[in-house]
Amino acid sequence: MKKIQDLKPRILLAMALIPLALVIAAVPENTTKPFKLTIEELLNEVTEGAQYFTTDQIADFIVQKDPSIQLIDVRSTDEYETYHLPGAINIPLADIGSEEWLGYLDQDLRTNVFYSNGTVSANQAWIICTQRGFKNNYVLQGGLNYWAETILNPQKPAETAPSDEFAKYDFRKAMNAALGGGTLEAKTAPVESAPALPPIQKKPLKKRAAGGC
Amino acid sequence: MGPLVVNEIISSSTNFLFAFLIGIGFGFVLESSGFSSSRKLAGVFYGYDTVVLKVFFTAAITAMLGLLFFSLFGWVDLSLVYVNPTFLPSAIAGGVIMGVGFILGGFCPGTSVCAAAIGKIDALVFVGGLILGIVIFAEGYPLWESFYKAGFQGFPRINELIGVSQGVLALLMVLVALSMFWVGEWAEKKFPREEY
Repeated sequence: MKKIQDLKPRILLAMALIPLALVIAAVPENTTKPFKLTIEELLNEVTEGAQYFTTDQIADFIVQKDPSIQLIDVRSTDEYETYHLPGAINIPLADIGSEEWLGYLDQDLRTNVFYSNGTVSANQAWIICTQRGFKNNYVLQGGLNYWAETILNPQKPAETAPSDEFAKYDFRKAMNAALGGGTLEAKTAPVESAPALPPIQKKPLKKRAAGGC
Repeated sequence: MGPLVVNEIISSSTNFLFAFLIGIGFGFVLESSGFSSSRKLAGVFYGYDTVVLKVFFTAAITAMLGLLFFSLFGWVDLSLVYVNPTFLPSAIAGGVIMGVGFILGGFCPGTSVCAAAIGKIDALVFVGGLILGIVIFAEGYPLWESFYKAGFQGFPRINELIGVSQGVLALLMVLVALSMFWVGEWAEKKFPREEY
């Protein structure tokens, strides 16, 4: 029996690596992804309200046809067909986990803004996507209810209101006019939706290419 | 969970610092193992010294097994690790140029810098040629751009092409490497050279 020191390095290497390689060949590949946010991080985002876009911001984006914004309606298909924001796509909350929409939700090109009638469903969609580690997901503050209140039916402020209230009112009236004008009742005709875009393929994150020898 | 820089656990500046320290360690080990000798490097082509083959192949299979075990333990997300895109024609042409340059010059790019650092004149000439090649490639880029980018095949991996899991391919690679070491040591006995 040879001592271990007398063995050739090649044999020693084989004794170390072959068992390890057998183990790795026998186990399934690990394809799980970790959660990206800790409770503290999530709580921080929620309490700061960092996930919200205001209705004024969204109206501005829609009027300017900003291509980096993707509005996502998380209500049911029926509600979506009755009324939805211009250019919005419909991903009902129940389908948010479906593979079909992964290209829209898990991407780093565009800013997704979820909306529903209030904010509950949109926030649920946001939290699901955020915990899955998807970036660039936001929520329309106040939802469609607040949209109707502020953009579709802006209320003239009282005479004594500060001047920035009037500026806001003028802005909202202008937005309303640019979006076709009228109140919610007048807008209930189906709005032509933007043509469906092909799913965005997530690009692999590039690391610096490793050199040779 | 790695990769550290992709997941923003460390900044890219810290990443460069790590690269710098690892690079110094790599260069030190290369030099102290005699890799700054072009006779030793050329030995792998003549069969009298296959240390180069053994060292780099050992490094490759060790890193491969390490990454797969890290992935198994959830320490690194392999889907975020950069895989070079495959351009077969330019890869073959580049491999031929690199191989011919290796035999002619007696260094590969990394070891030439290593040998230049200890003041070897042939290595300094080699590095000069390296820079000249880079300049010619960059300045003449429009001439070979279409060839350089021909035959883009995405980011395929061998285990996907032959339809086995990463682990099985790793086992095959380890067996291939070990049998190459055996062939290498046989060649060292067959084509011995006393002094080099």
